[in-house]
Amino acid sequence: MKRIVKFLSSIKLAIVLLIILAGASILGTLIPQGRTVEEYAARYGSLSGALIKLQWTTLYRSVWFMGLLFFFALNIVVCTLTRLSAKLHRASRPKVESEFKALQALKIKDRIKKNGPLPGARTAVEARLKAAHYKTRAAASGNRVSLLARKRIAGIFGSDVVHVGLLVILSGGVISGLTSVRQNLEMREGQVVSIPATDFSLRLDKFSTIYYPDGSVKTWISALSVLEGDHTVLTRNVEVNRPLNYKGFNFYQTSYGFDWDAPSVEIGAKKKSDPAYLKKIKVKVGERAVLDDKDQLAVSVVRFLPDFVLGEGNQPETRSLQPNNPAALVEGFRGGEKIVTGWIFANYPDWDQMHAANAKEGAKEKAPAPDLVFQLKSFEAGQYSVLEAAKDPGVPLIWIGCVLVMAGFGLAFYWPTWEIKAVLEETQGKTEITLGGLAAKSREAFAAEFEAVAADLRSPR
Amino acid sequence: MTESTLFGLAFILYIVATLFYLAFQFSKKEARAKVGFALASLGFLSHTAALILRTFESHHAPFTNMYESLSFLAWASALAFLVIDRKFKIPRIGAYVLLIVVGLVALASSPLMPKEATPLVPALQSYWLWLHVSVTLLGEAFFAVAFITSIMYLTAKEPEKKDKMDSVSYRCVAVGFPLFTLGGLVFGMVWAYKAWGTYWSWDPKEVWSLITWLVFALYLHTRIVMGWKGKRSAIIALVGFLAALFTYFGVNYLLAGLHSYA
Repeated sequence: MKRIVKFLSSIKLAIVLLIILAGASILGTLIPQGRTVEEYAARYGSLSGALIKLQWTTLYRSVWFMGLLFFFALNIVVCTLTRLSAKLHRASRPKVESEFKALQALKIKDRIKKNGPLPGARTAVEARLKAAHYKTRAAASGNRVSLLARKRIAGIFGSDVVHVGLLVILSGGVISGLTSVRQNLEMREGQVVSIPATDFSLRLDKFSTIYYPDGSVKTWISALSVLEGDHTVLTRNVEVNRPLNYKGFNFYQTSYGFDWDAPSVEIGAKKKSDPAYLKKIKVKVGERAVLDDKDQLAVSVVRFLPDFVLGEGNQPETRSLQPNNPAALVEGFRGGEKIVTGWIFANYPDWDQMHAANAKEGAKEKAPAPDLVFQLKSFEAGQYSVLEAAKDPGVPLIWIGCVLVMAGFGLAFYWPTWEIKAVLEETQGKTEITLGGLAAKSREAFAAEFEAVAADLRSPR
Repeated sequence: MTESTLFGLAFILYIVATLFYLAFQFSKKEARAKVGFALASLGFLSHTAALILRTFESHHAPFTNMYESLSFLAWASALAFLVIDRKFKIPRIGAYVLLIVVGLVALASSPLMPKEATPLVPALQSYWLWLHVSVTLLGEAFFAVAFITSIMYLTAKEPEKKDKMDSVSYRCVAVGFPLFTLGGLVFGMVWAYKAWGTYWSWDPKEVWSLITWLVFALYLHTRIVMGWKGKRSAIIALVGFLAALFTYFGVNYLLAGLHSYA
């Protein structure tokens, strides 16, 4: 048992763990994480199986990485505990008596002879140390008094506070990993979604996209209402960086999308034979609109694809749900008879591959190009908001841990514990004061203060 | 005066200050270092004015693209140098730290860096941008000074100079490490939580900040607990700075490339 504790509390283990953790973390940034088996096969070939088996492809969630973190935590716990009792003892019940020789062995030391008996000298030393904000303890025995003066004793606990903070962060991480809940909500205006395992639901009142003058997105705003039963408890706008918090759940604006089911499309119609002819008309997908009563011309939009691409078997399909290459399949009619059909593209208004509706597939002879030409002028589709609902009970621990770590750094680096020990001894009406100083940090500043104290004791101002 | 005039003026002042410090390296005439310090301070002031002007003109924090963040890192490094030199009287590092500053400013001014202030994407519209980036880069600036003092420790011959470099290295880490932890990790986690809904997602930039943090944790443990000073300490500080540099630059250019696969 003793040997296990000694091993777990050793600084060497800490150093080895720090190095292994750093190395493992590097490995995880060199191998792309969380991809599909096919991607790894394409990238690493025959090695991919081994990588997946070693969990190097989901490294930060792997059993062995968790094991490393566990060891790291255990090392911190054992190390902190074994050192803490000695430190607490030092802070609350320190040894006040000093040996004359021990003080002589210190690097920072001084020796002062005063005329007069011990009590007067002791009062002078104590007063001077108090003026320098030292807290002094005394132990008297016969013609000798030992003094122990210290300031900023909390500084010795800096590293412990950092370590406790790290443990709190690690436990917060464990709680997050085990209990956090996340869910994507696709919401259309007016839609109400009940949040699982709660007594409230969420309604999207309005979703708007605000653009900069140059056309790039400035912000997405989801006006949300929290509903409990039938009544609205809360109404708020949610944007990126401005989540809504309600009963332990956070709602984040994460994305948006277009409703491509029933967009409205603006079609421009031209005639090759008549350059002055231009008609614009708005049509919904699946509907037919009359262009011109005189010529009995009409147009209908059969299909709309936001990101047109020719897929398998040369069939048109959409590559994404973003309007990267909007295209519409239109049909033109004269007097109820279909005369032209073809795809038109918003990004390529001059594309003209309309063919006559009666042209046969694979016909050797090209049918005469139809007179009627269509252009896809614009389109409008409803946008929906994508929100993330997240509940993460580990988060408060993370923040507490962070505060502890930073407070610990403050103590460890900028709250140096300084210690002045003194032995006062009276012989034949004279008192000899031996001073010794100890500082683990900020030694130069301490040496200067020590010198000032000694100088004042030698010849009081 | 416009932002680019002030920025150019700062660039020139930094260069001239570097030359004075280089001259000081060869002759050890105190006056040269003093002129160098004054010029570097003036350059810093001009640079500060340029950053303030840019903030007002762009209506956002002056570190939202590579040009701005390089310029800010140069500014932070100049600040770290001025603070360290004032406190520890160590003009010998002036030439080298200022060379880093000049290098960063030169990189920022290179035609490869787009300089236009572009409107902020929604994710960057947060006051955490100020806190996260400024504190992190300030911490990294102190790592940069520690990097220089560590190199100078390794190359120095006289024991007195070695001691000074060793102690200043430690003091720089003692400032840089808490700043880096606060800005890079703590503020980074808070912002990630506010913007993305998760405080830690093992993204390469996050992981490399953690690696940098682990290296400096190693520095402190070996130094304070095991009493490693001097050479080994200096080498760990070098590695730590390189890790910080990789977090700042490399992740964007190298790992992003690796990850853009498929």
